[in-house]
Amino acid sequence: MDTEFRSTPRRLRRILPATLTACACLLFHISCSTGNDGASGTGYRGWTMPRPQEKVDFTLTDTEGEPFDFRARTEGYVTLIFFGYTYCPDVCPIHMANIGAVLDDFRIEVRSQIKVVFVTTDPERDTPERLRLWLDNFDTSFIGLRGDRDEVNEIQVALGLPASVIEETEGSGYLVGHSARVLAFTKDNLAHVAYPFGTRQTDWAHDLPKLVDERWE
Amino acid sequence: MRLWCTSSQGVAWDWTWQPYIGVWVFIILIAVAYWLHLRRLEPSALKDCAQRRSRIVFFALGLFSLWLALDWPIAPLGMGYLASVHMVQYMLIALVAPPLFLLGFPASSYEKLNDRPRTVATLRNTAQPLVAFFIFNVIITVTHWPSLVDPFMSSQVGAFALDMAWLVAGLVFWWPLIAPVPAWPRFLPMFKLAYLGLNGIIIRPPFFILLFSRFPAYATYELAPPIPGTSALSDQQLAAGIMKLGTALVMVVAMVIVFGEWVRSSKKAPAGSAY
Repeated sequence: MDTEFRSTPRRLRRILPATLTACACLLFHISCSTGNDGASGTGYRGWTMPRPQEKVDFTLTDTEGEPFDFRARTEGYVTLIFFGYTYCPDVCPIHMANIGAVLDDFRIEVRSQIKVVFVTTDPERDTPERLRLWLDNFDTSFIGLRGDRDEVNEIQVALGLPASVIEETEGSGYLVGHSARVLAFTKDNLAHVAYPFGTRQTDWAHDLPKLVDERWE
Repeated sequence: MRLWCTSSQGVAWDWTWQPYIGVWVFIILIAVAYWLHLRRLEPSALKDCAQRRSRIVFFALGLFSLWLALDWPIAPLGMGYLASVHMVQYMLIALVAPPLFLLGFPASSYEKLNDRPRTVATLRNTAQPLVAFFIFNVIITVTHWPSLVDPFMSSQVGAFALDMAWLVAGLVFWWPLIAPVPAWPRFLPMFKLAYLGLNGIIIRPPFFILLFSRFPAYATYELAPPIPGTSALSDQQLAAGIMKLGTALVMVVAMVIVFGEWVRSSKKAPAGSAY
């Protein structure tokens, strides 16, 4: 026993350089892979659009049944707009959950300057009640909008997004294929940055306060 | 059909059973290797039927723990949807299965190691308590590091490598406590208790990351189709709790067993002998 314990430091010394090298490689890898700050050259972690997208004028119905004039009601705010549906199994709840979690973490001064608008691409199944209930899971301030499928498709195309399509599934159900991109309009009524699926909470937390303060000169 | 379980790949969780053929083959290979090993041992080594039975039960329990961790539903949930279940997987693979495997081998199996000088030399290096403790904690830290875990869990080879790293780390950790190689010096019960106690209280960096980070650390769970009633961050905090308290619980149980054996052997041993 004694012999074994005495020889331990020597063995440790033998494996220590290899372990330290491995740890150094790991730390290097981590430091290189923590976030993608400035990956687009603008300091944003979202995808900076080569040509900013203008806001589109449209009026849809909110979950209270009231008309919602998008341009007028989002004027002067950073507005995230996303097209999806409540039966969506993956992209929609992930985007909404991540944005909701991050907004919770912001100071009220920042939080109060951001609006999140969710437009359903499945108006048949997404009743106002269902839409409201679903959005409230993430944040009660999220705005839910409904309109005819064709009308919503027109808005998507006008915003540079693909129109949504119905995909039949086994049985009587269906999925709705739609863009996974969140457009972020800043106070100049232009969307300079878009957020694809895969945007993480750290990315939102990094970008949203910057978008609130952005002047785009 | 997949051989080994990976991250969710964007598919929403449901309770539809999924086969993982690679896991079954792996488990069957271990069982067959064990059976062949027992058959090859001299009959004298297994004379005591009760002892033999208990060894086989230990090994079978270890195999069951490993299979439970690697197969549906724990593996797909843990690899793709919930960090907390991932931590249960880790507990089963690194902390529960390895000691049961080691207890499943009779003393003569360890004696036979002396016929293989190279194996013994390697084991002597890795199974030193301090070295084993060091190796175990480095492997567990690295294999829980978010920027490393995310890419590994997205491929079958990477997921397999993570599982095997845990299993090997567990075997290395438990070896000094359980494997009774007669030619080797004994690890005194007092040191065994310290070894286990220290591992129970040690705080590894991933625990801090999981418990205190403001946002989810693992992209795998943050970007997986959500399971109703859970959020990535609260699930991650639960994972940290399981990692810490679960490890501490296993260590306390092991310490109670070691202490019990120590007391029993002290009563049997004549005055003035070793301990």
